[in-house]
Amino acid sequence: MAFNILIVDDSATVRAVINKALMLAGVDMNLAYQAGNGQEALTVLENEWVDLVFCDISMPVMDGEEFVAKLKELGIIDSIPVVIVSSAGSEPRLARLKANGVRDFVQKPFTPERIREVVESVMGVASNA
Amino acid sequence: MLEYSQETVNATFMSIVERLTFMFGEPMNKDDLDTEAMDFTLARMSFVGDMIGTLSVAVPTAITAEIAANILGLEAEDLSDKAMLDDALGEMLNVVCGHIIMDLIGKGANFKLHSPEVLPVDESMLVEMLASSDFQGFELDDSPALLGLKLES
Repeated sequence: MAFNILIVDDSATVRAVINKALMLAGVDMNLAYQAGNGQEALTVLENEWVDLVFCDISMPVMDGEEFVAKLKELGIIDSIPVVIVSSAGSEPRLARLKANGVRDFVQKPFTPERIREVVESVMGVASNA
Repeated sequence: MLEYSQETVNATFMSIVERLTFMFGEPMNKDDLDTEAMDFTLARMSFVGDMIGTLSVAVPTAITAEIAANILGLEAEDLSDKAMLDDALGEMLNVVCGHIIMDLIGKGANFKLHSPEVLPVDESMLVEMLASSDFQGFELDDSPALLGLKLES
């Protein structure tokens, strides 16, 4: 099954690295959307079908915590899995995010293997690697 | 000036830079750094929370393409867009910063990182960094680098 994936990070470098890691990990991707902050990500979600979201924490306009809180408020956090990708993943912050429905956390820097592990765990499928 | 473990900062910086860029670093006395006739690029970012301050890294502009290429898994000669090079350097600093804060305070730290800014270094800035006790010198794969941590609380 091919997934539509949304990558949310204010850094174009990170978005490219996650995209590449997904490909190297053999994740079956249909479409890969990108957004520079939580607000842009919400716009993507309003208009496109997304199966999985990778999201940074520290972003301008709307950061990762605000984005996740919004998804919870909209009642869609359970139907659109969100994985946080960040170097700012302290235990209190991760606890708040998990309480709001975030499925998993990937600490930067990460390997394609870690990305594959998370996708398989969150989506319940094996990749093509 | 607030105290912190420079040894921890140095070790975290070198470890994260190596994992991200495959460049090997070692601390070096700033007086021994060869910075003559080099343009430098500075990335800096502030953070707030349990620890408040600014983290900066300055590298020769000539190696920013290599840094970006290694992070992205591309060839340096294929990367010339300054915005992409600046973004990659800023992201390197961003990752270093998060790890340094948690290694200094612990995983229970509460903190928020602000977006990095990237700017060219003029001669007066370079002189100031070389003279400042907030900045530590490094050699990254034969290139000089400066890492500065200034804490306010």
